[in-house]
Amino acid sequence: MSRLLSKDFLSGVMFIAFGLGALYLGRNLQMGTTVRMGPGYVPHMLAYIMMSLGGIVAVFALFSSSAERTEAPKWKPITMVTVGIFCFAFLFERAGLLPALVVLVLIASLGGEEFKITEVIGAMVVLSILSVLVFKVGLGMNISVLYGVW
Amino acid sequence: MELLDNLFLGLSVAVSLQNLAYAFLGCMVGTLIGVLPGIGPVATIAMLLPITFHLPPTAALIMLAGIYYGAAYGGSTTAILVNLPGESSSVVTCLDGYQMARNGRAGAALSISAIGSFFAGTVGTIIIVIFAEPLTRMAQKFGPSDYCSLMALGLVAAVVLASGSVLKAIAMVFLGLLFGLVGTDVNTGAQRFTLDIPELSDGIDFAPIAMGLFGIAEIVVNLERHLTRSGTIKVTSLWPTREEARRAWPAILRGTALGASLGVLPGGGPTLGAFSSYTLEKKISKTPEIFGKGAVEGVAAPEAANNAASQTSFIPMLTLGIPSNAVMALMVGAMIIQGIQPGPEVMTKKPDLFWGMIASMWIGNLMLVIINLPMIGMWVKLLTVPYRFLAPAILLFCCIGAYSLQNSTFHVYQVAIFGVLGYVFSRLGCEGAPFLLGLVLGPQMEEYFRRAMLLSRGDPMVFVQRPISLGLLIATAALLVLMALPSIKKAREEAFQEEG
Repeated sequence: MSRLLSKDFLSGVMFIAFGLGALYLGRNLQMGTTVRMGPGYVPHMLAYIMMSLGGIVAVFALFSSSAERTEAPKWKPITMVTVGIFCFAFLFERAGLLPALVVLVLIASLGGEEFKITEVIGAMVVLSILSVLVFKVGLGMNISVLYGVW
Repeated sequence: MELLDNLFLGLSVAVSLQNLAYAFLGCMVGTLIGVLPGIGPVATIAMLLPITFHLPPTAALIMLAGIYYGAAYGGSTTAILVNLPGESSSVVTCLDGYQMARNGRAGAALSISAIGSFFAGTVGTIIIVIFAEPLTRMAQKFGPSDYCSLMALGLVAAVVLASGSVLKAIAMVFLGLLFGLVGTDVNTGAQRFTLDIPELSDGIDFAPIAMGLFGIAEIVVNLERHLTRSGTIKVTSLWPTREEARRAWPAILRGTALGASLGVLPGGGPTLGAFSSYTLEKKISKTPEIFGKGAVEGVAAPEAANNAASQTSFIPMLTLGIPSNAVMALMVGAMIIQGIQPGPEVMTKKPDLFWGMIASMWIGNLMLVIINLPMIGMWVKLLTVPYRFLAPAILLFCCIGAYSLQNSTFHVYQVAIFGVLGYVFSRLGCEGAPFLLGLVLGPQMEEYFRRAMLLSRGDPMVFVQRPISLGLLIATAALLVLMALPSIKKAREEAFQEEG
């Protein structure tokens, strides 16, 4: 079983999955001829080569004795960072820079190992001042700091 | 005399107040990120790409180049003082640099590394000036099939020299090439892989991908492990003793030569240069047993090598438009954002940009010596900033930067998605650099391939009938075969193990 969880096997599977995805999404693209290639010619070619490489990697991994196991991911950091960015993107135009910043910094800090609320608030204050100064005042970007207010 | 004319043109561009300011800014930022562990030059340049969008092209490239070699300087500072390599290229500097510092020679180690780097940087700049023109002339004779083969060679060589698993890295190149094709097909106008999202019809923007793959993924990986720090060492006198200087000079010369030649190779770059020159010094030394215990040569040679290599790695990018490593791929991205297609035309059509950038590299190196040596205390203080403050700040600047590209939150979502992808890559041991190279070269390579096939009326033999193309393909094949040979494969695996 452990070989099925090795880095190489899983990455082989990933390449094949991406290849299949490309073939599926590109199914309506015209292949054309070698002289006048259609938009689908090169993508199909790349997808097939990548899938064969992925297949070789995966098969080698199954028969290799020194397969390196994939480390179990820690879910907290990646989830928090991703959720944080999504919230930022969602809030940025609807509520403004400040609310988006506060939410992003809060969620991202929750993803770390240590979490002290005073430190996080301090970071928020410093970053708010800094980003308003740099982006709004300095670079003159057309963004709202707090929607409807400034 | 044309050489001198070019140099003067370059200098006159580089010493304009604006360009000097951006070179300085780049060097400062570069040193800063070099000193701060857990964030590398690739991630930083990726994050700053959106900002360069608002700058004039020359200033933008000068600043990015400054970050690149500034990071190499800053990385050595932390390597010597706290035994933490700020960059992968200063890993070897830790070995003897930190030992020198523990023997009370921290100041000497710092100044030898700074002077060695400066010397190597100067030589690197001269080499670029000498080789840029002939290489560009050569590249102008290339037809579409030659270009296609050249890119194949560049991609394969970059993969072979710079990463662990060759097969996986090549597959990553193909994945990058595929992502590069997203958008409207130039020849037919057909929408490819756009998922009916209008923002994707111009192609996936390069900056959000780079930010996600390198910036965000790096933050997440760093948050997962605990970054620990050993005690900082006090710096006393910066002057090396006469004995130290006597031993450092020849090592600096050898390191410069080796680094400069390895830097030109695709996939070469600073890290390879540093490792090889350390090995070389150890091999030719009369007293190999002192290596690892504070040998001056063990600091001087790799430091010179990594800086020489970071300069010469600009050569393939500037003359041929072929990036040899991830940082160069980002530089190509920055040029494309500015509407400049990297390649041999840059030198003839935009001589001020071309020579200005080269001249500014030398000026930047000079600035770095000044930034680094007298201000060492300030940089050391920065080391005490905990990572939990850095991570949210970096994230925030990524998000605002991505938004500022086109004032659209679509790019911010993209950063998040590619962050997840980058995290998956790093968990599976697939490197991001080959992906990035493929991504940058993808659209051009398809274009050249289709044009070559059209010209040859669909006959793939065109790639082996033209002598330049044939030669390049033979070199590519030879590299691949070499890698498959058991003895080389073994030596290569050992080399990468040492590195990791």
